[in-house]
Amino acid sequence: MKKTYFQPIQIGFIFGAVNVFLVLIGFNAMVASLLAKALGEQVLTALPPFPYLAAFTILLGLWCGIAAARKSSRARIAGNVLAGWLSGLAAGSVTFVFCVGIGWLLSNKIDIRNYLTVLSFDFINGVLMGLPPLVGALANLGILAAAGAVGGLLYGFIQSSKVKQINQPILALTCSTTEKLKRLDHGRRRLAFQILGVAIAGAVVIFLPLNWGSYWNYVAGTVGLYVILGLGLNLIVGLSGQLVLGYIAFFAIGAYTMALLNSPLPYNLMWGFWPALVLGVIFAALAGLLLGLPLMRLRGDYLAIVTLGFGEIIRILLKSDVLTDFSGGPRGIQNISGPTLFGRPFNSDIDFMYLIAISVALAAFVYNRLQHSRPGRAWLSIREDETAARACGVNTTRYKLLALALGAAFAGLAGAIYASRNQFTGPEEHSLMASINVLSLIIVGGLGNIPGTILGAFALKGLPEILREFSNYRLLTFGALLVVMMLSRPEGLIPSKRPKYKTPQEADGRNAEEKNVS
Amino acid sequence: MSAEIITAHNVTKVFGGLTAVDEIDLVVKEKTIHSIIGPNGAGKTTFFNCLSGYYTPENGEVFYCGQSIRGRGTHEIATLGILRTYQNIRLFSSLTAIENVMVGLHHSLHETWIDAVLHTRRYQKDEKHALIEASHWLDFVGLIGCADAVAGSLPYGAQRRLEIARALAGKPRVLLLDEPTAGMNPQETLEMTALIRQMRDDFGITIILIEHDMHVVMEISDFISVLDFGKKIAEGIPSEIQSNARVIEAYLGPGGAALAQKFKRKTRK
Repeated sequence: MKKTYFQPIQIGFIFGAVNVFLVLIGFNAMVASLLAKALGEQVLTALPPFPYLAAFTILLGLWCGIAAARKSSRARIAGNVLAGWLSGLAAGSVTFVFCVGIGWLLSNKIDIRNYLTVLSFDFINGVLMGLPPLVGALANLGILAAAGAVGGLLYGFIQSSKVKQINQPILALTCSTTEKLKRLDHGRRRLAFQILGVAIAGAVVIFLPLNWGSYWNYVAGTVGLYVILGLGLNLIVGLSGQLVLGYIAFFAIGAYTMALLNSPLPYNLMWGFWPALVLGVIFAALAGLLLGLPLMRLRGDYLAIVTLGFGEIIRILLKSDVLTDFSGGPRGIQNISGPTLFGRPFNSDIDFMYLIAISVALAAFVYNRLQHSRPGRAWLSIREDETAARACGVNTTRYKLLALALGAAFAGLAGAIYASRNQFTGPEEHSLMASINVLSLIIVGGLGNIPGTILGAFALKGLPEILREFSNYRLLTFGALLVVMMLSRPEGLIPSKRPKYKTPQEADGRNAEEKNVS
Repeated sequence: MSAEIITAHNVTKVFGGLTAVDEIDLVVKEKTIHSIIGPNGAGKTTFFNCLSGYYTPENGEVFYCGQSIRGRGTHEIATLGILRTYQNIRLFSSLTAIENVMVGLHHSLHETWIDAVLHTRRYQKDEKHALIEASHWLDFVGLIGCADAVAGSLPYGAQRRLEIARALAGKPRVLLLDEPTAGMNPQETLEMTALIRQMRDDFGITIILIEHDMHVVMEISDFISVLDFGKKIAEGIPSEIQSNARVIEAYLGPGGAALAQKFKRKTRK
């Protein structure tokens, strides 16, 4: 009894409160304009058309209904619909009270934007969908209740199809393919997925940049560079477990190598892009080695602080007046020439996008191969327990240096491309914040794995660009994301999984079984 | 009959004002099980740390096969064939069981990072070798069934055995076991005792054992050294140690020997 009525209503109230909160911070308008943009509509004003605002309410109602139905876990579809409807009704009634309130404000022309900045009259009108206050409030109530019921129905439907295996054609098709996939043995299934993944990624990478326009290519390129940085730092932090904070210094070394070798001032060397790229990688790796030598005795917090200092030293050196003649000083280095390929300039945003895509693929390839090898296991063992690793015969000093040098080389690659693409590099681009950005992207994505790094780079570098119009909410979303992350996925969006090895005994066992069957 | 494999000469290790290991001379013969016992804080583990190169003794010298190991890093000593397990298990707890053993194989593989990136022949050969060897050692300690289980999630007894498998993978000639049966139930203790014997008999590994369970010690040891307050107070075969007055005193306190005698007589009656 209690479960049937009380719980859905409780959930509904929570959703209602969340809805009111989201409206108060204008989140509904943001989602609505995203929807409008996704459907190809031009949004010129801050407020998208009413149907899109209603769509936001419908989506929330659906979610509410599904959540309620899931909690009540009723067997029959009718029960699910009831739960969904009740929760929708509860959410709607909260919203109703809220709408009546803001409707009253609207009809009496009381402006409280001093306290709640989003509540302009236009906005209130939008929430009420252009209707008179009471009718608009009722409409909100109706939408939420109906959406809740539909959500409950949807959930019930999915549940029953799962239980009874309804022979709908589409469902049957998916079932049979998953069955088939299950029957394929592990290695072949993985290979099939890998080939599929590479094919899709390849197609996307080849065709998308041509249609993206230069801004989106620029954004995607930045994300790509951060993926490379993330992978490099993952080698150091995620695999070998050394918390290095001044990582961006290696990026700076790559960038300045490119800049000094390919700009008219201060040296006018003009060595060309490709040699500078290689040198940038080499210099960064050497810097990693040199930094590593004194670091080998340090662990944990001490290591973090010393590397943080290193990052700042590099930045301040580049900025200092003493070295202005050498490194351009605080103004940085301008007019860095772009790459040429077979005598043809190769410096449009599309060209760079391809170059970055190839570099990302290369970095991911190298990272992946290193992960599952003797050095990879040695790094992991150092991360887990350095003393025990040494007692197992791992030369921890050598492997820690190797991780630093390789990780730094990744950063050097990214830095060299970055400088050449922007045709500029300056000391302020290599601030501590950038190091922290890279570190947080690998932590958010999931320490130590490639998909996590890519996802993290998108979440931290891509999303803010996509949501540029809503930059007011950027920090809010960011904070919320971090809190939610730490609560629900403390190991990152994609936690690392350990690989499975097929032991010879297992293989024998399987062969024996097969023989028995035949 | 058998040669000396480890000779500790006058080994002294000082922490601040405390002499944890005080001028210890110890000779371990090849292919024996040599136990080191003593009350808590006697310096047993510190002595182990001197043997495995984790500490460098202030004074004295440890010879392995006639060679001094002074100044060699822990990983070098491991490569030479002195491997160890820890009192508080130190596995790589978020790696799988088989990966743990593969780390143990580290120095018998030769692939470099370049091999790994290019998947050269050497990489293929080494990885295949590693898989076979690691499965072999897992099988030996009876853990082949949980090869892909994360080490930290294994039950306590299994973790102890996994640590031994990891050490065995490094092809030890001398294996230092620090309280291998601590916290085990009688059944597990029996299995561990059998495993230790098997390692000596089947693979000819010299085993140096720190252990508090006197049943285990008396049953499997070929030779026992007793430490107390950093000093070696007695040495001999199990029956000698059992009746050694100084040893009993070290465990039971002054007058302990007489007490033990009384107790023995009583039980005999």
